[in-house]
Amino acid sequence: MRALVVYCHPSPESFTAAVRDLVIGRLTGAGAEVQVLDLYAEGFEPVLSRKEWEDYLDGPETGSPLAGHIAALRWADTLIFVYPTWWYGLPAVLKGWLDRVFLPDVAFRLPEKGDIIPTLTHIDRLAVFTTCGASWWLTRFIGAPGRRTILRGVRLLCGRCKTAFAAHYNMDSSTPETRAEHLKRVDRALTGLIGPGRTSTPGEPRAAGAGG
Amino acid sequence: MTRALVLFAHPVPESFSASLHRATVDVLEGRGWEVDDCDLYAEGFDPVLSCEERRIYHDEPANIEPVAEHVERLQAAEALVMVFPVWNFGYPAMLKGYLDRVFLPGVSFGMRDGKVGGCLHNIRKVAAVTHYGTTRLRATVLGDPPRRSVTRHIRAVVHPRAKMRYLALYDMNRADASRREHFMARVTRQMESF
Repeated sequence: MRALVVYCHPSPESFTAAVRDLVIGRLTGAGAEVQVLDLYAEGFEPVLSRKEWEDYLDGPETGSPLAGHIAALRWADTLIFVYPTWWYGLPAVLKGWLDRVFLPDVAFRLPEKGDIIPTLTHIDRLAVFTTCGASWWLTRFIGAPGRRTILRGVRLLCGRCKTAFAAHYNMDSSTPETRAEHLKRVDRALTGLIGPGRTSTPGEPRAAGAGG
Repeated sequence: MTRALVLFAHPVPESFSASLHRATVDVLEGRGWEVDDCDLYAEGFDPVLSCEERRIYHDEPANIEPVAEHVERLQAAEALVMVFPVWNFGYPAMLKGYLDRVFLPGVSFGMRDGKVGGCLHNIRKVAAVTHYGTTRLRATVLGDPPRRSVTRHIRAVVHPRAKMRYLALYDMNRADASRREHFMARVTRQMESF
């Protein structure tokens, strides 16, 4: 198993970091090769530039600063997003990662005629682990756009794949108990995704290539 | 004079999005609106919510300081018009980052008359002008995240009786000149009656 963990949170002490560590521990415990992209830590620039927009249809440029991220995405058979939900959606930094890395010839192909052709079909497992300030009810009422962006939008480009999702709702009124309960939920979701296993001590995950 | 804040997010002045943006601003001004035209790319807005901003996120009113000017512009508006392309079933990061950083507790939501709710009651009209690469059918099957983001999230924080218009051109990659013109005409009409 080759797992790419895309992690996005500005604060190193956040609960989201604890979720990330659990995910990495379970993956390495299952014998997976793991790459972690810590978008904030590497100062990822989320703004798609004028030049990128103009060259968009040409696909990724050789020597692009995003080459490391694109290689990691192509390498992975398991793609896991760990982030806080802000305004029912992805943090801008993570949204910008999709905007800039999910290029033609990387995530899909646009034929002259007909529908787009997904090219992330090497991804067999897709997961989202997040926290929401809002309640489950309110998130559902708004329509959970963030969850849909990944588990429906990104999934469309992966073809058939296993998915997993866990969210800690009402995050602002969380307690040590609800957090511990959520970590158990993530653990169970991972069991469904990658099979049973024990958490190994999080080691040094292999660093991914150059950032954007 | 009534004031409209136009939020625009696209990097290229020659794009279809930019034409929609220009038409929107021109028509509104022609109809007597005072338009605060906020072109996020041109203004060099930084969409990244920083670690420090995260730490003070709930500390009102200190949380406003890093984006005070944008908060002021938002609170001065009676109408909000968002012009943007849909990328990967969502807002461009630039616009998402505006929401992350400016729609703060105490600005867009908070305690009001003893209840938690939307705070932007100064905004009585909302419009989104957007276009998708994907078809309407596929967007709907996928739950149309950007439509929901606007018509449910933004709606929830503005005036409860605010009018909402969501104007979208789907399947943009295969839209010929006539479909684009048709959409442009629709946007113009909607903005005239705004």
